[in-house]
Amino acid sequence: MRILVVEDDSLLAEGLTRVLTRAGHAVDHAATGAQADKALGTNLYALLVLDIGLPDIDGFEVLRRLRSRQSHTNVLVLTARDAVEDRVHGLDLGADDYLTKPFSITEFEARVRALLRRASLPAGAVSIGQLKVDVEAKSIRCGEAAIDLTAREWALLELFITRPGRVLAKEQIAQQLSDYDSHLSANAIEVYVSRLRSKIESAGVRIRTVRGFGYLWEAPDG
Amino acid sequence: MADAPPRASIRRRLLLFLIPSLCILVVGASAATYFVALHVARSAYDRALLDPALDMAANVTVDANGPRLAMLQQVQEALLYDSEDTLIFQVRAPDGAVIAGDEGLGMPPSLNRGERAFFDGRYSNQPVRVAAIRPDNGFYVQVAETLHKRNRLIWEVLVAGLAPTLAIALATVGLAWTGVARGLGPLESVRAQLLRRSAQDLQPLDEHSAPSEIAPAIEALNRLLGRLREANEMQQRFLANAAHELRTPLAGLQMHLELLLRRDLPADVRDEVSGMHKATVRAGHLANQLLALAKAEATAPDGARSASLDLYAVADRAAHEWVQRAMARDIDLGFLLEHAHVAGDPMLLAELIDNLIDNALRYTPRGGTVTVRCGAAPDRPFLSVEDTGPGIPPSAQGRVFERFYRIQGTPGDGTGLGLAIVKEVAQRHGATLHIESPADGQAGTRVVVRFPAPVAGA
Repeated sequence: MRILVVEDDSLLAEGLTRVLTRAGHAVDHAATGAQADKALGTNLYALLVLDIGLPDIDGFEVLRRLRSRQSHTNVLVLTARDAVEDRVHGLDLGADDYLTKPFSITEFEARVRALLRRASLPAGAVSIGQLKVDVEAKSIRCGEAAIDLTAREWALLELFITRPGRVLAKEQIAQQLSDYDSHLSANAIEVYVSRLRSKIESAGVRIRTVRGFGYLWEAPDG
Repeated sequence: MADAPPRASIRRRLLLFLIPSLCILVVGASAATYFVALHVARSAYDRALLDPALDMAANVTVDANGPRLAMLQQVQEALLYDSEDTLIFQVRAPDGAVIAGDEGLGMPPSLNRGERAFFDGRYSNQPVRVAAIRPDNGFYVQVAETLHKRNRLIWEVLVAGLAPTLAIALATVGLAWTGVARGLGPLESVRAQLLRRSAQDLQPLDEHSAPSEIAPAIEALNRLLGRLREANEMQQRFLANAAHELRTPLAGLQMHLELLLRRDLPADVRDEVSGMHKATVRAGHLANQLLALAKAEATAPDGARSASLDLYAVADRAAHEWVQRAMARDIDLGFLLEHAHVAGDPMLLAELIDNLIDNALRYTPRGGTVTVRCGAAPDRPFLSVEDTGPGIPPSAQGRVFERFYRIQGTPGDGTGLGLAIVKEVAQRHGATLHIESPADGQAGTRVVVRFPAPVAGA
């Protein structure tokens, strides 16, 4: 997939490009905000890796212009500034995820994978481990065997696969799954999750429990 | 204060100036009053003393027996009667021979005929006032009087004049004593303002309510505070910029070391690169910590308590941040959260919880447990992070919040700044920090941040 890396530090830019190229992506590099703006205006990217501290126009401005063009390109913000403030500001402007410098390659790769998967989700069937999921056709199979899911379990599955690598709080799940007239209790969520878990764990997909809080969908790499 | 050497005191200086001046003034006033009184007494009583002298002079006659005073004894006595003083008289012939009266009085000063004089003299060892006249016939008539009523008058005038002067002098000293305290009241309020401050509060003092005498001092103080503030801000800005500028090259370095580690390396090279990588990660962490600390310090005390926010939301964000890192280290990171509202700064509280969790994860061995709790029980909102690590020995509990303090012999690659950041942030929220044993009585550490009870109606 085509990815634009916007980073003015050549050492870091080179490293990022190498990591992404090795993962099989086509990578363009822009060292200034103006270059980035131009590249984003002419090409269509699956992902934008955007540094905030650029020499000319800052990353936030690049992001603002991108979103003002109604682009839905996924954006991973890299920040060297105050992490929490930039994170909030960046997410407000429509960034999809953020990383505070310095970060490990593993962390970077995980975020990129998650964002690209998210980008590709609406397009028909997706593979997650040994699972083949087609959200629109409501079909899910493990290898060749079809898996039967109830409506609530489907809703839960969709919630998880659209937010890979993110922790989902029980409250959040309850809000998403509740009908207008019924509110699901934390206990009910636990029941649904454990049922879904038992149906898909043979496919190498794990739903890990965050004690007292919620769940984390952990798909095998790839 | 008790041991301090005595200080120059404005009150003492003022009194040291005032009391001698007043003494000189009082003495001067007394002297002036005395001379006025003396003059008044003299001019009044001298005139009275002249009358019997004139009467007697009119009755000196010269007949066959020679000169004599033709005046009845009773008349003389009546003429010289006085309830208070003793009066005596003396008549001398032009040749100086005493022809009547008391011989104890000396010769009068030389007078021309028709002249009169008043002078101080002595009579049987007493001071007396003498009126002497020399009528045209050449005789000398003197009437002398003791000084009792004159002295009494002088004394009365002195008392009448000096009593109020002394009272005014004493009152002046008293008023100066209390007036200095009153006048220095604004200084006292400046002192109180300064004492109430924390070390980080460099806001200017209120200049408007200060009287014109101390306004320049306050202005100078404010200028100094301003310079300190600038220096402080510059230092913090420098620290923030330095940390910021360090992060990008560190990120590049870390990335290339990790790319290198993914290659096939000989074992000894791998060890060395791995050591470099660890050091780089640690330097990056340190840069982040320094920035967080600078930011916490830049916040004015209580300035953090601006917005009402839910500790649940702060911990909730931390869950998204830390769960995967904990899982990567095989640590069970749990969140037992209840809603609890506090007045606080979301950015600073995020730093607080991040550092508590980071610290707990660092010192908890693989397979251990870290639990984040928050709630409002029983009366104060709290946030706690407990771990199943080695625990903090009681001897070190007082010091773990100090900067760069690390418990000796502990593994891990902490910077020694995490808990210092926690402390700074807690202080800015009026919260207290406690190190306790975990709730279930196991080994480990529980750090509890207790926030002030929410103000009713807030």
